Amino acid sequence: MKLYKKEGNIIQILSFQNETAEKGDYLLVEDADAGKALIAQVIDVQFASIPGILEELLRSLPDGGELIQGEDFDPLEIAPHITYIQDASLLVCKIRATVENESLIPSSSWLPSRSQSAIKKLPIPALIKLAKIDGKLPIILGGTKDSSLLTIDATSLDGRLNIITGKKETGKSHLSKLLMLNLVGYKASVVVFDLNGEYLSLGMTADGKRNAYHDKIHILTPSQNFKVALKQLNLHVLLEILIHALHLPGTSAREFRRIWQSLKEKDMLNMHELGEAIRNCHCNQHVRDALFSRYYALVNSHFFTDNVAEATLLEECLFKAKERGGAIIVNLRNTSSIDRQIVVEYLLAKFVELLTDSRLKAIFLFAEEAHLYLRETYWDDIVTRMRHFGIFTTFITNQPDTVRENIYRQADNIFLFNFTNEHDLEVVSRAARVDAETVKSIARDLPPHYCLGLGRVVRDFPMVVKVKALDVKTMGETRLFFKDTN
Amino acid sequence: MQPIPLQARHEETIVAAVDTSSMKIGETATGTLIAVRGANVWKQNKSYHYIRLGPFVFHITEENKREVYNTLQTAYFNTQREQNHQNTPNLLQMPTRIASLLERWLQTMLTKTMNNGLVLFDGSLTSGTADTPTPLMKEILETARKRQIVVLAFSKMTSLRFNGHIITDIPLNHNPPYMLETAGLKTKPPIVLLGDIYVARLTKGNYAFRMDIDKQVVPEQRIEAVEKLLGNDLLSQSYPETLRLAHILCTFTANEVIAMQHFTAQAYGLKMVNRPDMHRLLFGPFGKGDVNA
Repeated sequence: MKLYKKEGNIIQILSFQNETAEKGDYLLVEDADAGKALIAQVIDVQFASIPGILEELLRSLPDGGELIQGEDFDPLEIAPHITYIQDASLLVCKIRATVENESLIPSSSWLPSRSQSAIKKLPIPALIKLAKIDGKLPIILGGTKDSSLLTIDATSLDGRLNIITGKKETGKSHLSKLLMLNLVGYKASVVVFDLNGEYLSLGMTADGKRNAYHDKIHILTPSQNFKVALKQLNLHVLLEILIHALHLPGTSAREFRRIWQSLKEKDMLNMHELGEAIRNCHCNQHVRDALFSRYYALVNSHFFTDNVAEATLLEECLFKAKERGGAIIVNLRNTSSIDRQIVVEYLLAKFVELLTDSRLKAIFLFAEEAHLYLRETYWDDIVTRMRHFGIFTTFITNQPDTVRENIYRQADNIFLFNFTNEHDLEVVSRAARVDAETVKSIARDLPPHYCLGLGRVVRDFPMVVKVKALDVKTMGETRLFFKDTN
Repeated sequence: MQPIPLQARHEETIVAAVDTSSMKIGETATGTLIAVRGANVWKQNKSYHYIRLGPFVFHITEENKREVYNTLQTAYFNTQREQNHQNTPNLLQMPTRIASLLERWLQTMLTKTMNNGLVLFDGSLTSGTADTPTPLMKEILETARKRQIVVLAFSKMTSLRFNGHIITDIPLNHNPPYMLETAGLKTKPPIVLLGDIYVARLTKGNYAFRMDIDKQVVPEQRIEAVEKLLGNDLLSQSYPETLRLAHILCTFTANEVIAMQHFTAQAYGLKMVNRPDMHRLLFGPFGKGDVNA
């Protein structure tokens, strides 16, 4: 390989047949005289611009597009040299860092010698060691192209905002399960908003037996084993639900506040008394109707109960998870859109309350397709305010444009699966910790189950990994009509 | 001057063509690196076939040029026609001279292996130059005639004039295809015209070429040969496709030149010397460069 060109932090390297390098590979451009080396990542592989190549191709097709039949007598065997030149490729590489005195400097301001530099592939294990990617709490993500394991440090997810995105059936949920289980393994508290019931069998192996995580996986299904008593609620939490999930107007909200305080003073906070209080309220008929309609929405959700004993599971699970690690799977499958919003509003408020009081240490929140239940104002709240309380969110989506741009800008880690759509890649490339060329070039060619890790987890050295298989029972498979036919 | 009208004859006839090309691929400290390649193309059963020979790479120095040239001449024709030291080509002429040797050999082989066909040469049937020794050219044409082959030579350029005009520029009020016979052209010894010279306008359009046909072939057979060419080969811009392909196949492309430089460096450790372009050096943007450099 030969260094050909450098423009900004892009270098172009001329490579020949026997020096194969693919997108995503790392190269070390070593200038022995300067005592430094560049670490560059291949982001595109092109044909080298060889003069006369067009003529060469054209003359092989002169006969109406058919190959002209013939023999070449080439006693000096120059043809292999011609092929060697014609097949030369140009590796477009992004400079990631400079190695000097065995330490990494994020600089690309120097120019290595074009004639003297030695260029070689940098194996992923060497890079991991150099960049100190694997830490004290290793999580094995999977295998890299050179058959080594990519191990990240669980602490690089701690206090961070993560995004897992890619088109359908590329393995996003699989990766989130892997991260989640590893965090649980390190005694972290994990909460999952499970939209499709994909996480419900995480405690089982593929053949249906209990696995090591079985006792640490807690499934909460709203309206079934997960209910809330009004007495456990703060007024502001219920008002958030009424205003944001059920769109209660301001005037009616004021009247509700009055009713609530009156019931609380009398220690009569329950659904039955709330209904009666609204019925007997001396207020405008429209306000009463508005309150009644919301009241019945709450009643019909079956999420609220007057039996406090029925409403203790969430806190129990959270405290168990705090002690020995665990995952609380909030099963939102078969839950209507309004009820989903009610549940999520309640949970987020509850987490903030518990974290503020230091009753919980921190929560790793995994939110699948969050746009389906997260109201507009919560996006900023989650990445700024709630992060300070200790809610560290991982968004999982196959529609990257549903995640707001400022979320991408603040994302610390992005796990990117295949996208072919230019628009989707454009959205993801807005993330502050990645460069658009890398995202657009590498993500487009990722096979299923291969993921491009970006951000702190890989110390800003984007790496492609085949996410390792998990021995857990698969759920959330799409039900097919022609399943038996195949 | 009366044009001879032509009509395509479609009876199956093999059309074959020969061309070679040469290229200086670089300079070394002691000499020059050249490459030659030749191609035979023929059309048979409505499809084109080729045999391409080369590239042959030579490192020519002042010391070895005579030996190389004479060795090739002996190998190709079992004779050394230019024993005279003064006739040995200089370094600049070597690429074309070696290519000419290869071309004559390819023409000889073609005329010795074909029967009842047409052989197209690139250039003319003028002999008596260093590249076209008269005895050899006569031998080629004689072999062709013995095997019922008619040799047609097409020149892309000509300096021959009639009434002050280049012969291929003479306008005629006649629809192509036709050919026009020129007469009275005289040459000075040792130059000999082995063919009669025609202007061939074989397709519609403004293109016409000088076409030489073996003098020893009777006029009727000459016309028949050109008509068979019309009926058996594709003609684009009045030029036969077979000859065009032969030219295309042997021409060196830029990447081949790089590959040959790579080959000589790898196989023989020969290092190219980049001599400064004195025109550019002295005259800057006004220097057009030495085309032979």
